[in-house]
Amino acid sequence: MKILVTVKRVIDYNVQVRVKADGSGVEKENVKMSMNPPDENAVEEALRIKEAGKADEIIILSIGEEKCQETIRTALAMGADRGILINASDDVEPLAVSKIVSKVVETEQPGLILMGKQAIDDDSNQTAQMTSALLGWPQATFASKIEIEGNIATVTREIDEGLERIKVNIPFIASCDLRLNEPRYASLPNIMKAKKKPIDIKSAEELGVDVSPRIEHLKISEPPTRQKGVMVADVAELVQKLKYEAKVI
Amino acid sequence: MKSKSKVVVVGGGVVGVSALYHLAKKGWNDVVLVERKELTSGSTWHAAGLLPLFNMSYSVGQLHKYAVKLYKTLEEETGQEVGFSVVSNIRLATTQDRMDEYHQYAAVAKTIGVKVNFLTPDQVKEIWPLCNTEGLIGAIQHPEDGYIQPADLTQALAKGARDKGAEIYRNTNVTGIKQLENEMWVVETDKGNIECEHVISCTGNFARQTGKMVGLEIPVIPVEHQYIVTEPHPEIQKRKEQGLPEMGVLRDSDSSWYMREERGGLILGPYEKGAPACYVDGPSHNSEFELFQEDLERLEPHIESAIHRVPVFGEVGVKKVYNGAICYTPDGSPIVGPAWGLKNFWINEGHSFGITAAGGAGWQLAEWIVDGEPTIDMLGVDPRRFGNYATQSYLVEKNEEAYANVFTVHYPDEEREAARPLRQAPCYDRLKNLGAVFGQKFGWERANWFAPAGVEQKDDWSFRRSNWFAHVGNECENVQNNVGILDMTAFAKCRISGPGAKDFLDYLVANKLPQKNGRVNLCHALNTRGGVHSEFTIAKESNESYYLVSAGAFQRLDHDWIKKWMPKDRSVSFENLTNSLGVLVVAGPKSRDLLKKISNADFSNESFPWLSARKIDVGLAPSIAMRMNFVGELGWELHHPIEYQNHIFDKLMAAGEEFGVKPFGIRAMDSLRIEKTYKLVGTEMSIEYAAFESGLDRFVHLNKGNFIGRDALVKWQQEGFDNKMVTLEVHDVTDADPLGNNAIYKDGEVIGRATGGNYGFRVKKSLAIAMVKPEFSNVGTELEMDILDKKNKVTVIEDSPYDPMNEKIRA
Repeated sequence: MKILVTVKRVIDYNVQVRVKADGSGVEKENVKMSMNPPDENAVEEALRIKEAGKADEIIILSIGEEKCQETIRTALAMGADRGILINASDDVEPLAVSKIVSKVVETEQPGLILMGKQAIDDDSNQTAQMTSALLGWPQATFASKIEIEGNIATVTREIDEGLERIKVNIPFIASCDLRLNEPRYASLPNIMKAKKKPIDIKSAEELGVDVSPRIEHLKISEPPTRQKGVMVADVAELVQKLKYEAKVI
Repeated sequence: MKSKSKVVVVGGGVVGVSALYHLAKKGWNDVVLVERKELTSGSTWHAAGLLPLFNMSYSVGQLHKYAVKLYKTLEEETGQEVGFSVVSNIRLATTQDRMDEYHQYAAVAKTIGVKVNFLTPDQVKEIWPLCNTEGLIGAIQHPEDGYIQPADLTQALAKGARDKGAEIYRNTNVTGIKQLENEMWVVETDKGNIECEHVISCTGNFARQTGKMVGLEIPVIPVEHQYIVTEPHPEIQKRKEQGLPEMGVLRDSDSSWYMREERGGLILGPYEKGAPACYVDGPSHNSEFELFQEDLERLEPHIESAIHRVPVFGEVGVKKVYNGAICYTPDGSPIVGPAWGLKNFWINEGHSFGITAAGGAGWQLAEWIVDGEPTIDMLGVDPRRFGNYATQSYLVEKNEEAYANVFTVHYPDEEREAARPLRQAPCYDRLKNLGAVFGQKFGWERANWFAPAGVEQKDDWSFRRSNWFAHVGNECENVQNNVGILDMTAFAKCRISGPGAKDFLDYLVANKLPQKNGRVNLCHALNTRGGVHSEFTIAKESNESYYLVSAGAFQRLDHDWIKKWMPKDRSVSFENLTNSLGVLVVAGPKSRDLLKKISNADFSNESFPWLSARKIDVGLAPSIAMRMNFVGELGWELHHPIEYQNHIFDKLMAAGEEFGVKPFGIRAMDSLRIEKTYKLVGTEMSIEYAAFESGLDRFVHLNKGNFIGRDALVKWQQEGFDNKMVTLEVHDVTDADPLGNNAIYKDGEVIGRATGGNYGFRVKKSLAIAMVKPEFSNVGTELEMDILDKKNKVTVIEDSPYDPMNEKIRA
């Protein structure tokens, strides 16, 4: 069985994101980028499934500009086998991503697709669900545990009420929660070896997918800065302020 | 926020906070620090925290030594932990040149009192069992250094400063810095203005932006530096469980990286070739805690060598790669001291080893600001050691080069290649065709030596006698027997004129000014503590005009010193002539015969005595000839409008053929000057030595009336001197002459240091000039001196071993 893992190159979670002066987007020039954290869980899970003898090959798919190769290499250094990069502009929307994934699935025929549950940059949380619909495959979102036995997988999902366990048939799509596992760090020899692993580069047009945006961005702005706090003398004053100044009670 | 303060420190990294702390410690508690974001948010926070004492410079070495000592006491003083791990550090050597470098450095360490040990490969293995010692020939260890937590250190300094009354304003953006008519400064911020007497710029990656606010081009551009942090390794964790000490900081100099333990794992920090300059136009105004994309590919050779040297390093995963900006300057040393051309604006920028340097830099700046002078010779870090040639493009090339050379062997005759040639005298091409091998000083190309036909025009750098040794010897011999020509266009030159010129210069220097027109004197400008700040050759041109010449490397420093003391009533004017006049030195017993052939002037002793200057024609060109030189032979310096240089040069070479004229270079000059015990600023003369300690008795006239440093010098004299300058003959030298900084011993105890040394080709002796305790300065005293790994016997001899009666120069 092949496992297809999708990874996204995002602004590193440690970076304080800055909005461009003209409000057209966020500053990405000279900003440290890295793999979307839940995608690391997806890669790690694929590696564990393969190490358990339940998969033969792990393919890493990323969509975006040339530099996404670095993100694919990160996954290859962790132990994945090969990569596919679909060249496209940076801001491909979830539907287009789902269409591209579906196209790749046609040729690669994986038994399992693993994705991060959402990307930390746009927080869309749509791709796994839409891909599932396009392919007609079962979906197991927010997975915190995946157990595969033969053609059936038992997946534990993190939901508001607690944990939910579902059974799905292979092939299926899982979107991975941060609790799924603890991703490994690649060693330096593996990082260097990863440079020799193949990455196949195609364009979105070659796959016949229209990636033009369907959402119009009106404006991107910084969240309002937090107002300075005030010290109150007692509970009465606090209640007074909450009631008449903040008007929240 | 205060609206008035004595000092405003701009920038809250470790460097700025240390400056604030030291001002408060000196009793100036009305001082404030303004930080754009949070303390440490520029480069301090991502520093690896290493405290390398190793530094080839006598002055920087003292700053580092002070810092390490201070950091050890801070926790007790402030109650704030600094996380100082005194784990020692070991530098490995795989080549003889590297061991030579360590021995040369060890001399510096001994003379400033820093403890070092030399280790065998087996001893390295004992301390660092995870290190593969294959190929090692030895190592040098600093038992007393290690690493520190930079953010904790900054907080401790901040607490120490606040406890003494200083204030720190975070999240306060400096929007402008202006000087008022009354010379007070106003630091404008988004939270209000602060009026102050002094401003200290400690703005790290923003140095150039800060400089522009006051019209300065501060020569700082950061370079990217990466280090790799691994996850824990079982072997290291096992050591911890067994209660074994940390293995310490390991530096494989020949592979250009450092390594240390970090939470059971390892940190590797390589200094690779090809690391790019960054923030060339400054960081974004709201940048904070910023890192760049890592680029491990660049580091690959270093990673491979690190895995070879410490195999466990390759066995664990990489937790994080830090790629952050480190400030750099063209020579890799920081910029600490007064800004040129501005009163009470201080620069504390360009720190590549900021955690180590912050302590010493803050200490000396506080001395400088509060007491008016530093107590350590700061030439190596003085802001005025660079000039206008340090353009932005120059900085990008030079700073990247400085970064790539952090771990290369620092040879005494090293000349780096980036950004060259830049400033060229007109005769540059002629010298090049004559075999010149050039070096660079203050941006100028200067011929170091001349390769004869058939010899490659290339240095083979070494701590020992090198490929150029014999050729330099031949140049010296030709100056001794025939006549040589030396291009000294790089000299700093200026004219001081006006009705107040005489009185001003008389106050500026310790020697008597030349009385008659056309006379020349060697004069020293002391600092207010009585040490030597600058040396000028002063020629009197007319009653209200003097021509001053000083070392090329100190152009900005010397000229800034003049302008700093110049009266503001316009009675004196200053004109920089450096770039409009060229200088060719003609020296040797046949120089008179040569000049007579191409000039109608009278070069006889009667009409052109030693230490006089005349306007003459050389060929068709006008020139000022000054009868003096730095090599101890009959000779003249020809100072000419620069456009005539090649005309004069060609005349000299053509007419000189029959006299055996040959060009000579700076290295020959240095050998020739040592034989005459001629002193240099920065080595024999410095602000750390009283002018009398440097043997300047003939040039200091305490009775001539008041001059800068006079009273301090008298007081110093009354208190007694710790040093006396002597000339030494070095015995049993085979292939390595003293280079300066060598430790000097009596009965095994360090009693002095060599300031310079060389082989004297005319006297055929290895010589050194040294500072020793006065009781060991008598002629005939036998002492010992380290030269690399050998102890040589040395004898104190009379100064000027060549031509002690000065018959040659007056011939």
